[in-house]
Amino acid sequence: MEDGNLKICTVCASNNNRSMESHKQLRDAGYDVKSFGTGSAVRLPGPSIDKPNVYEFGTPYENIYQDLMSQECRKMYESNGLIHMIDRNRHIKRAPEKWHSNSYAGKFDLVITCEERCFDSVLEDLMTRLCIKTKDNEVKQIVHIINVDIKDDNENAVIGGKGILKLVNMIHEFHNKSKNDRINKSYEDESSIILEDQMIRILAEWQKEHTHLPTLYSVAYY
Amino acid sequence: MASVSTNAIIEQLNQARNLAFSSKEAFPQVLRQVFQFVNNPDQKIQEWCAVFLRESFMTDESKISSSDKVDLAIDALDGLIVLANIEDTHILKNCIDTALVVFKLVFRYVAENDGCTQVWLKLNELKNSLTSKFQSTFPLPPSDTDEHDQFRNLDIKIELIKFIVLVIDYQSRTPNSSSFSLSHVNSNHSLIKQSIEAEAFGLLDVLLKVLTSDVMVTPLVTALLNHLSVIAKRKPQFITKIVAVVEQYSTETKLQSNYETVEQYKMSKKYVDRCLKVLINFMLKNQLVPSNYTNALNKKINLLVSRGEDIRKKNVLASSPEDSNIRKRKFEGFVNSSKKIKTNDYKSLYCLTEPDNELNNFDLSTLPQNILVSMTLSALNKASNNKLNKALDIIRDRCKYTLENFTPADTRVKKENDGADDEDDDDYYDYRTETEFTLPPPTELSFQEKKNHINVIIKNFFRLAEKDVSSYDEKQDLNGASSVSKELTKIAIKSWKNSSWFVILTRLASRGMRQIDTSKPLLKDDDTAESKDVVENEGISNLIRQAIFDYFLDDVHARVDFIIEWLNEEWYSEKVFNEDRIYEELKEKYLEEYEKKPLSTENIESKVQEELETHDIPTPIYNMWTGKVLDAIIPFLEPGDRKIFIRLLSDLPYLNKDLVSRIKSLLYDPGRSKIGFLSLQFLIMYRPPVKGACLEILGELSQSDQEDLKDEAIKLLKKYE
Repeated sequence: MEDGNLKICTVCASNNNRSMESHKQLRDAGYDVKSFGTGSAVRLPGPSIDKPNVYEFGTPYENIYQDLMSQECRKMYESNGLIHMIDRNRHIKRAPEKWHSNSYAGKFDLVITCEERCFDSVLEDLMTRLCIKTKDNEVKQIVHIINVDIKDDNENAVIGGKGILKLVNMIHEFHNKSKNDRINKSYEDESSIILEDQMIRILAEWQKEHTHLPTLYSVAYY
Repeated sequence: MASVSTNAIIEQLNQARNLAFSSKEAFPQVLRQVFQFVNNPDQKIQEWCAVFLRESFMTDESKISSSDKVDLAIDALDGLIVLANIEDTHILKNCIDTALVVFKLVFRYVAENDGCTQVWLKLNELKNSLTSKFQSTFPLPPSDTDEHDQFRNLDIKIELIKFIVLVIDYQSRTPNSSSFSLSHVNSNHSLIKQSIEAEAFGLLDVLLKVLTSDVMVTPLVTALLNHLSVIAKRKPQFITKIVAVVEQYSTETKLQSNYETVEQYKMSKKYVDRCLKVLINFMLKNQLVPSNYTNALNKKINLLVSRGEDIRKKNVLASSPEDSNIRKRKFEGFVNSSKKIKTNDYKSLYCLTEPDNELNNFDLSTLPQNILVSMTLSALNKASNNKLNKALDIIRDRCKYTLENFTPADTRVKKENDGADDEDDDDYYDYRTETEFTLPPPTELSFQEKKNHINVIIKNFFRLAEKDVSSYDEKQDLNGASSVSKELTKIAIKSWKNSSWFVILTRLASRGMRQIDTSKPLLKDDDTAESKDVVENEGISNLIRQAIFDYFLDDVHARVDFIIEWLNEEWYSEKVFNEDRIYEELKEKYLEEYEKKPLSTENIESKVQEELETHDIPTPIYNMWTGKVLDAIIPFLEPGDRKIFIRLLSDLPYLNKDLVSRIKSLLYDPGRSKIGFLSLQFLIMYRPPVKGACLEILGELSQSDQEDLKDEAIKLLKKYE
């Protein structure tokens, strides 16, 4: 983040609804964004609550789309927005990705989870990664993990996505302003341009406008 | 802006970098060349080096071979020690990351190569330099309070946690693990002693202070909780310590900091609770927790989960009855600790309270001095040394800021404009205690210039004579009592009257210009010329006297009172002055005698007084001007001027034979001889000292060939002899 743009990823359970909605919004706003799921598998609504559609992470959205379209309850999936969602997703990226095996995706400055469970999962996974014997040349970097709690339905995913975009914009603006202020030395206390020093203030400022989106936050190493 | 040479050097360095990344063989050589640039005084070049070092050590085998990297790591130590102390966040961050790689490589090298003392010492120097920065605000300057500093410079502190955890990991044993630790060091190693684990334990204490602080610095606390997982996992010897602190940790007991809002505090509580829960969960899941703590930690988890669930359902920012339990940390800082001032005045220089506070407008100078003194003393007594120092530091920084932000050129322009309004500001910017300002000595006036000036002064005095100032009198009488101090009323002129100018002018002539001529004693006949100063001053006095004299001549009849006043002043001042001179000369004479014969002389003072009485005090100036006055008035006297002339003679303070003799010309004038005889008669009767002189004149006249004179003189002689 020092020299380049923010590298962001969004995380929900199945990498289909909430993380993908915000993935789209952030991507459309021009951010460098990826998305993941922390669940053990991709779980989508099925014909009934006890019969969900379960796919392996990595199954292309296209395949999921075709599979759902071929099912008897296709009409139901169309009416509850499931088809629409998968259709959107297949135009964003190839397949849902699992957080725990995302080392290929590089590192992020900002990880935004959409559910407290996912937040815990990300933190726990990063702790585990910290404890693994690493190569000599590997250096951990700082990552900000923010949870924005979003209910898992279409409408809330959109609202939540907007909230996340706003938050990312605020952090991005702070980052850019700090960069300029550092060059021009136009600060009284350098602390005022350090993101880590100002993060809680930014979150509180955002939270005031988004009281319906409860947050969690942690600095982690990655 | 970077200078041309800086840009040129960076351009060269970039070329070297490209070479390094394109050739595995050239990389070590390029890197060693770059080490030399670390000491370049230009911070831009140092920054380039820091970035390149990080980049280089983070490369894999494809760029630098493992063996080369170890050698390079050893060679990099000096450069890293330099970079670690440069006050720049970006350089320090890159330096920490590089140190993370270098520390591992060099520590293992030392472990395998016992005896390389120099390398070990350097590694320790780098380690101590970095670990010691965790509890400071480096590279930021400290603020006015420790509390504020806990919340500042978090990015570097979070980076440093990585390095400190690595040091703890390497400097303590890890049982049953393939990853390197103190367990892998030969127990007889001469440099890396097994006791080094104590240092690791100490560093863990330093880290855990983040959790035992009375406030929550959320980014730092959460970062530490996450990184503690490594120590918890690898170091069973430290687990009890960690678990004890974690179990004790309660966001409920933390105070709200003065540097966070209630909202931030409430959000922080929620955040820290959650991260604490994740760490405890991690430890329990991985069976790291000693059995005696398992129950306590399980309880803690349940508490944290239910508290989390509770708050999740509510709006965390909404006020709740529990808000009243929030206690704020005691404020030890200054509300206005800004090191820059917005307006350039003393008020904002010294203001440490809220700038908008109404109290700042209270003018303390209206209080009596004794109250101010006791207030100041008790305030200074109450203030702690530390706080007073911090306050002075802030004010010093503000001064520095102001001085740095006003170029000398600006100040100079201001000086030239030197308006009354700018005066204070100028003093403020320009003030240097070592500068002394002196006025140039006034150029000495020549005698001619002095004469010119005194002529102007005289003219002004006579202009005053023409003015009717009686109207001013009333005003001054009304205001006089209150506005003029009592000291002033003791002098000759209490309020300005029509005649006041004359008093001042005559005194200027008589006393104002008089100077003792030490070179010419009065008591000795001495032909030496008077000193130049005395002559010149007398010349100026005579200018005034001549002016007064001329003024008199303009209207002899009306201005005789002025003449009497002037000549009285002349005589009195001259007599007192000369009497004093004779007294001093006599005293000196007797003192000399006393020195020669101490026993023969008794009371010097009485002897001086005795002899002083025997001396006539000369008044040559008075005599000369009185003569001139008499010579001037006598020719113009008319028969009716009897009263005026007698009045003059009676009021003149001193007469002698010479002066009296000037009356003779009157006596010889048939028309006015009556006035002459009356004058002589008057003097004989009322001025005994000149009675002899008068009788002499009468005697002379009695021998005269003018019959009428002769008769009158004989008649008077008979009467008074």
